[in-house]
Amino acid sequence: MKKDVLFTVPSYFRDDMDIMGYRFGKGEKSCVVLGALRGDEVQQLYVCARLVSFLREVEKDGGILPGKSVMVVPTAVGFSMNVGSRLWAPENRDINRRFPGAADGSTTERIAGALFERLKLYRYGVQLTSFYQPGSFIPHVRMMDTGRHNPELAREFGLPYVYVRTPRTVDHTTLNYNWQLAGTQAYSLYAGKTQEIDEAAAEQALRAIVRFLNGRGLIRSEITPGHASSVISDDDLTTVVSSEAGLLRRVKFAGAHVRRGEQLTFIMNPLDGGVREVLRTPVTGMLFFVQDGPFVIEHSPVFQVLSGRTL
Amino acid sequence: MQLVREIATVASVAMPVGERWNVRRCRYAPQGGGKGRVCIATGVHGDEVLGQLIVYGVVSRLIAEPEHLLGTIDVYPMLNPLGLDVGERMVPSVTRLDMNRAFPGSPDGTALEGICHSVFCDMLDADLVLDIHTSTNFKSELYEARVSARQADVMLREARALCPELLWVLPDRSDFDASLTGALAAAGTKALILEADERRRRPQEIADAVVSGIFCKLREMGLFSGETRKPPEGDIPCIRSPKDVLRVGCERPGIYVPEDHIGTWVKEGEVLGVVIDALQGEALQTVLAPAAGLVFSQRSYSTVYPGTLIARLCRKEQP
Repeated sequence: MKKDVLFTVPSYFRDDMDIMGYRFGKGEKSCVVLGALRGDEVQQLYVCARLVSFLREVEKDGGILPGKSVMVVPTAVGFSMNVGSRLWAPENRDINRRFPGAADGSTTERIAGALFERLKLYRYGVQLTSFYQPGSFIPHVRMMDTGRHNPELAREFGLPYVYVRTPRTVDHTTLNYNWQLAGTQAYSLYAGKTQEIDEAAAEQALRAIVRFLNGRGLIRSEITPGHASSVISDDDLTTVVSSEAGLLRRVKFAGAHVRRGEQLTFIMNPLDGGVREVLRTPVTGMLFFVQDGPFVIEHSPVFQVLSGRTL
Repeated sequence: MQLVREIATVASVAMPVGERWNVRRCRYAPQGGGKGRVCIATGVHGDEVLGQLIVYGVVSRLIAEPEHLLGTIDVYPMLNPLGLDVGERMVPSVTRLDMNRAFPGSPDGTALEGICHSVFCDMLDADLVLDIHTSTNFKSELYEARVSARQADVMLREARALCPELLWVLPDRSDFDASLTGALAAAGTKALILEADERRRRPQEIADAVVSGIFCKLREMGLFSGETRKPPEGDIPCIRSPKDVLRVGCERPGIYVPEDHIGTWVKEGEVLGVVIDALQGEALQTVLAPAAGLVFSQRSYSTVYPGTLIARLCRKEQP
C-alpha cells in the first residue's frame, strides 16, 4: 500500500488538511473509490476505511492482479468533518457542486479541481454518496444518463438494482456527471446511512465494491455471489407525495412488497395525535425509497414504489 | 387618487408543527390597474436582509404618492421566510437547499420546487422583474445590475435607468439557469438581479441609492410620474464577458486585512490588502492588483484560505 497526498489545503488556525489516497498495486489506473465529499458523510468514510483495511490484506496475499492499480480516497473534507459541517464552511459551499473545479479558483474549486485531475485518470470510479433527501433505499448503484454511461458493467456490483437517472441541470457540476464526460465509468454506490455508522449497510457496500473489483479483474478475493441486477430508470418509479404535514409514522419500510391501495404510512397531527392523512400506494410493487425523518412537510415525496417489469 | 393595496399568498406549504411556509405578494396599483407591471422580489437567500429595507423604501413612497402610480408594482419581500428568520442562506428544512438553484421549479416536484414554480408562474407576465440580492459574508459589492447573457442586448439598455454603478452580463450556465432571474430570462421575461452591499456602509445609504434607481426606472417605463433622478448619461462600467473580470484570489492562509478600494480604480501593482499571521508576527502575503481596473468586489477583514476571493476587478482603463 502506498499513501499519496493528493492535495493539501493549508490553514491559518488549524493543521493543514491533506487529502489522502491509498494506492494498491502498480500499473494501469484501474479503479478509484471515493468516500466523503461532505462533512457529514460518516458512513461513506467508514466504508472506505474498511476497504483500505481489506485491500491491505489482499495485497499482502498477492491478490492485486499484475498491472492493475486501485486507489481509495476516504475523504476530501476532513476539515468539515472535524467541525460537523456538511458544507465547506468558509465558503458555505458543497464541493460536490464544484466539479470539474479550477486550479486558480476558489478553495472549493481548487479542491475539486485537484481531486478531479487525479480521479479522471482512472478507468472506473466509484463514489459513495449521500443523497439530499434523507431516507432509506433498496441497495443499488446509480449513474447518470450522459450517453457515456454503461449500466451493464454496474451489474458486477451484484446489488439488486442499477438505477440510471436522468441528470438535471444542477447535476452538471457533480463529480459523477463530470467523471462520465471525462471518460471514466462512474458509479454512485448507495451506502445506507450518512451521519451514523450502519454496519449492515457498510458490509453490503463493501462486498459490492469487492465484487466489482473481482469482476473487473483487478483483484482476486473470495466473495459471496451477488444479485442478478435489474436496470431501472425514473420511468419505473412511482412517487407517493404527502398532501399534509406533521409527524410521519411509517407502516411500511424500504424493500417491502406492497399491493395497490395498501397503507404505507400515516401523517399524525403533532399536537393532538389525530390522523391527518393516510398514504397508500397507487401501484403494486416494492418500496424503493422511504423517507425516514420524523417530520414531513406538505407536498414532499415520501415513498418511491418500483413496479412493473423490473420486479 | 386611491391606491389599491392587495396582499395575496402566491405559494403556501404546511410545515410539520403548526405553521405554513407562505410566500406573500403585495400588489400596489392605481384603481383599474394602470399600465404595465413590475415585480420586485427579495429574500431568496435568508442571509441577505437589505432587500427588506429597499422594498420598504419603494412601498413607503408609493403609499405617500399614490397619485403618481400609473401601473402595478408587485412586491415579494420574503421568498424564503424561514431562512430570513434564522439568517440562513439556504432553506432551513431538513434538506437545506439553495432556493435560488431550484427555479423554475415544478408543480409535481418537492415542496421547494412547488413553491419556486408558483413564484415563477406568478411573475411570468411581468414587464420587468427585479430580483434583489446583497453581498454575502465578508464581501462588499458595488450596486450592480446583473443580466442574463441571453437577454444582454435588451437588458443592458433597460438596466441603465436603475442607475447602477456596474452592469454585468452573467453567462447562462446551468446554475444560473436555475436561479429566479435565469429561469425567467430563459422563459422570455425581462428580469435582472440587483446586487447591493449591506456590509460596508450604513444600510440606509445603500438602500436609498437602489430605491432611487428603481423609481427612475419606473418613471422611464411610465409606471410612475413623480420626481425622480435622471438616468445616467455617461458610461456605466460594464462587464460583457468573463474576460472582463479579473478575479484576485488569496494564496496564503491567514487573516486578511484589506485596504479600502471598493468603487475605485486601481493601477497594476497597487496593494489591495495583506494576509497576516499573528502567531509569528509575519505579513505572509501582500495582495497586489494584477492589472488596472475598477474594484467592484472586495473581501473584508476575515480568515482566508488559498483561493479565497480577495477582490474582483472590472478589467478596464479608468475613463
